[in-house]
Amino acid sequence: MWHLLHVTIHLCYFAINIANALESHLISKGLLRRYKSLHISKLQYLAIVIESEDCRTSNVIELLQWLADLGVKHVCLYDMEGILKKSKDFILEKFDGATLFQENDVLLDQPLMTLEFASFSDGKEAVAKAANVLFMKYLKSGSTSSYQGEQIFTESQMGEALKTVGGNGPEPDLLLVYGPARCHLGFPAWRIRYTEIQHMGPLKSMKYGSLIKAIYKFTMVQQNYVKEERQGKTMEWGRTGVDIAKSTTAPLLACFAPRFGK
Amino acid sequence: MPFSLHFSPTPLITAPSPLSKPFFLVPYYHTLYAPKSPPCSSTEHALTHQGKQEAFDRRPEDSQTLPLGLRRDAMPSHVAVIMDGNRRWARLRDLPVRSGYEAGVESLRKIVEICCKWGIKVLSVFAFSSDNWFRPKVEVEFLMSLFERGMQEDTGIFFRENIRISVIGDLTKLPKALQELMVNLEEATKNNTRFQLIVAVSYSGHYDVVQACQRLALKAKCGLIEPSDINVSLMEQELETNCTEFPHPDLLIRTSGEFRISNFMLWQLAYTELFFAQSLWPDFGEAEFLKALLAFQQRQRRYGV
Repeated sequence: MWHLLHVTIHLCYFAINIANALESHLISKGLLRRYKSLHISKLQYLAIVIESEDCRTSNVIELLQWLADLGVKHVCLYDMEGILKKSKDFILEKFDGATLFQENDVLLDQPLMTLEFASFSDGKEAVAKAANVLFMKYLKSGSTSSYQGEQIFTESQMGEALKTVGGNGPEPDLLLVYGPARCHLGFPAWRIRYTEIQHMGPLKSMKYGSLIKAIYKFTMVQQNYVKEERQGKTMEWGRTGVDIAKSTTAPLLACFAPRFGK
Repeated sequence: MPFSLHFSPTPLITAPSPLSKPFFLVPYYHTLYAPKSPPCSSTEHALTHQGKQEAFDRRPEDSQTLPLGLRRDAMPSHVAVIMDGNRRWARLRDLPVRSGYEAGVESLRKIVEICCKWGIKVLSVFAFSSDNWFRPKVEVEFLMSLFERGMQEDTGIFFRENIRISVIGDLTKLPKALQELMVNLEEATKNNTRFQLIVAVSYSGHYDVVQACQRLALKAKCGLIEPSDINVSLMEQELETNCTEFPHPDLLIRTSGEFRISNFMLWQLAYTELFFAQSLWPDFGEAEFLKALLAFQQRQRRYGV
């Protein structure tokens, strides 16, 4: 009986994998109408997290080419050990369509993709350095405050300190994780408050169709929710069919309502 | 929108022990009654009470049967939850928003019960974000009263079930009465060891990092540490999750189909397995929790090293 159950579940998993692979194939061939037009302008900054052990520059360059074809303009490549950072020059040389992201770059539409390379040192280590910067400023200010309850630092001061140590880039709208584990592997935490996170599986098994689907899902979800959340007004209107029908953009979104309604 | 998982190996399925009880039996503590009168000194009552207490003490977690497919050795020590979807749940049923929150509290109670049963040591819940202060005043006031009521009503259970309560977040913004209640409850339950419930109220990941920096700065100013000593390890020790033996969640569950961590435990979640569930929080029950745990146990977790 247990063996039968085991086999049944194994077959279900197999069927799901086949279905996903087929869907990905149909998407990449442009046969699924829904995915044909992506509102790529909604994706201002994309982060790609790759497990260091799976970093193959050939796969990375192919992935960047797909993103360039889709019109993605700003990408941050992250792996914990900094393998991609070390291969930065090689990647930029092999992938013609990109320039290195400069900290003061504004996220505008531009002909070439900008690439940022990040690693663990830009995450927790940068925050520790920023803490040191804040402390030195605090000492210099001559403040006599020693009351633990009093606020001596603010979030914006931390943001500025992170910029000083080179650890504060833009907050990605979407973060794609390529690897076996469904976690962001230490991507600079300060920058992912409201970032949409999607797990894509191992890099070696990446599929163009899956990439399109992930970006499509992001562009459809972003509607109202995150904008209000970033303004400090958390609302939960954007995901349900009922709420979308009530919005002023109902005619445009009505065809998607059944996908979101419970 | 269907939630797609990349399934790898099929979960292990083991036949249940013939002597084990089904996992769906009502857990032990539901059969206990809080004493409404002072303890009776009669011998009979003492023996009955002692019998129940001994039975409770004799019930080690190892004898609790886990559901099909779950492995005890691979259970996460610390699970974090973003309890999203309460208001949407109410709106879908044409109920007032407060009904959604009340249903959410019931859901939380069930999950705490399940965690105790299945041997999870710590559960952190994102009850109220720093961003939530911008919600309508009436709603915020209701939430504050709900927290107060919930903590008061469940105090007996916390003591009986040996549950430790910890609260993290900027409590200075909370009503004074609620602040006192939380502080007193934390103090009173600090020696409870069976299970720890961490409630994040008026909390954000950014706030947590900044307050850790602040604490380090004050320590350095007092000469307790050198400024040059400030590093990742010291930062971790000053985060508000230093209230637990397991400060880094192994698994984060977010309900309602949103794929964000929304400023929750930003630092602590670096290697946390992320599970995004479609159901709304009041509907998140044992079956959904089991799904999340099975997915967690399937993963090849290399912790990024």
